[in-house]
Amino acid sequence: MADIAVNRWGPLDPRVIIGFFHVQLRYRDQLALDDVTFSISNGEFVCITGPSGAGKSSILRLITMDLFPTQGQVVVRGMVSTRMGRRRIPHLRREIGFVFQDFRLLEDRRVYDNVAFVQLVVGAPQAQVKKNVMRVLTQVGLWDKRDRLPHELSGGEQQRVAIARAMVNSPKILLADEPTGNLDPVTAQEIIDLLFRINDSGTCVIFSTHDHEIVKTFGQRVMVIQDGRLVSDQERRIPERDRAPRLTERMYQPGQDHA
Amino acid sequence: MLRRGQLVYLARESLAGFSRRRLTTGVTILIMGSALLVLALFVLVALNLGMMLERARAGVDVRVFLVDGLDAERQAALQPPFLAVPGVQAARYISKEQALAELQRELGDEAGLLETLPENPLPASYHLELAPGHRDADAVARIAADLRRWPEVDDVVFSQIWLAALENWAELFRWGSLIVSLVVLVAAVFVISNTVRLTMASSRRVIEIQILVGATDGFVRSPFLIEGMLHGLFAGIVAMGVLAGGFRLLSLRLAGLEFFSLGQVAGFVLFCVLLGFLGSMAAISQYLRLRKTA
Repeated sequence: MADIAVNRWGPLDPRVIIGFFHVQLRYRDQLALDDVTFSISNGEFVCITGPSGAGKSSILRLITMDLFPTQGQVVVRGMVSTRMGRRRIPHLRREIGFVFQDFRLLEDRRVYDNVAFVQLVVGAPQAQVKKNVMRVLTQVGLWDKRDRLPHELSGGEQQRVAIARAMVNSPKILLADEPTGNLDPVTAQEIIDLLFRINDSGTCVIFSTHDHEIVKTFGQRVMVIQDGRLVSDQERRIPERDRAPRLTERMYQPGQDHA
Repeated sequence: MLRRGQLVYLARESLAGFSRRRLTTGVTILIMGSALLVLALFVLVALNLGMMLERARAGVDVRVFLVDGLDAERQAALQPPFLAVPGVQAARYISKEQALAELQRELGDEAGLLETLPENPLPASYHLELAPGHRDADAVARIAADLRRWPEVDDVVFSQIWLAALENWAELFRWGSLIVSLVVLVAAVFVISNTVRLTMASSRRVIEIQILVGATDGFVRSPFLIEGMLHGLFAGIVAMGVLAGGFRLLSLRLAGLEFFSLGQVAGFVLFCVLLGFLGSMAAISQYLRLRKTA
């Protein structure tokens, strides 16, 4: 699986985990993406921003190969979109975690089962399931609430369960599609901090948001998508002191737990 | 290959779907069971008709009466030509004396009547037995017409009329039941596929997440396939149970009927499971296809 991908534009840098090469995506008559080229290396934290409907979600769905480019190529973990058999897609997806704005938890299952479910689907050995679920739920701070049902949790907690679920198969890539869209600033900041921690342990995180306030607090690489084009891709490397204050610091009397 | 954890998960998931929608499941099994009951009933009647027909044919009695005045030697010499007629399996010679003795035996106490006769009035005859495949009304009539042209033959007698009628009925019934069966089959598959579609709609999120985290298509499908097959299994058992009960009641009044053999019952139930499989397969494939184009 880890054969070095070679495409029309030459061999890939082995550090590249996601590569877009002149990607065009047409939805019926609409051009959703046009000539998008970028690459993301192992372990990067990338923020994709731009107005709603600019094509952020399309980029994420191209990465999971839920969509395929009409022109150009997408390469993820050495798997090339133009040479991808249907049967191999599940294997790609097992290396990618996905978090949504609306959490998408299974409402009729306990927190524990929501996470364990993913392990069972991919056939993790039973002995490891409990260990892994415990590991990720502890990481997001919800092991104590493992027997609750999703609706008994706050929005932030539900999103943390979703993140635990995305991480339980130890993916190399975590895609977060507007993960803070439904959350208040304090909770949003918690989720962002959690994503940074996950990134620190080596997982490549791709975070999409249309919220400029959030983008300003980042010191990482920010890609701006507008009308289906990549209009800016900057490694910001902004020192901590020059970044906008954390979302929580602007709050009047920040609360500890926003349910 | 699936691991044990996956199997346990799939089994639990299928059964959960089954019991979570108890009402839908019950109604589906009842509707499908009724449809299958009709099907089984038709098959059973067709089977019994076929058996009756077979029995009737085996009993088809072709008696060839010989003209009077042939000597015993010529009568006996007719056996090889009779056997040479296509479709004739055995030919038993019955002399005048044997025929009289037989009649005497049948008359029993009244055999004395025969003593009054001046001579034996019974003709010598051959009793022909037809091979399977030559026992239907058409074949029998053809053979009889053939034999009547022989100079040694006086007359040929067989139970023609009711056999032909029975065959006509059986034929009509076979076609009728074939058509009804087809309709019922389509209905049964439709009922199952609808139920599975309902199940899938209510498990949309589970399916979506399974696909997202890298479940194979087969893995996504299997709980629904298992559910459909369970529907088929139970509907088949219900249909067979009701039919067997009804049959018991009926056979108290009507002798000579036969129920399916154990193997046939098993075959029918297995067939119902297959219908369940097909129904859910149709629903799932449609669902996954729609999801792809969405």
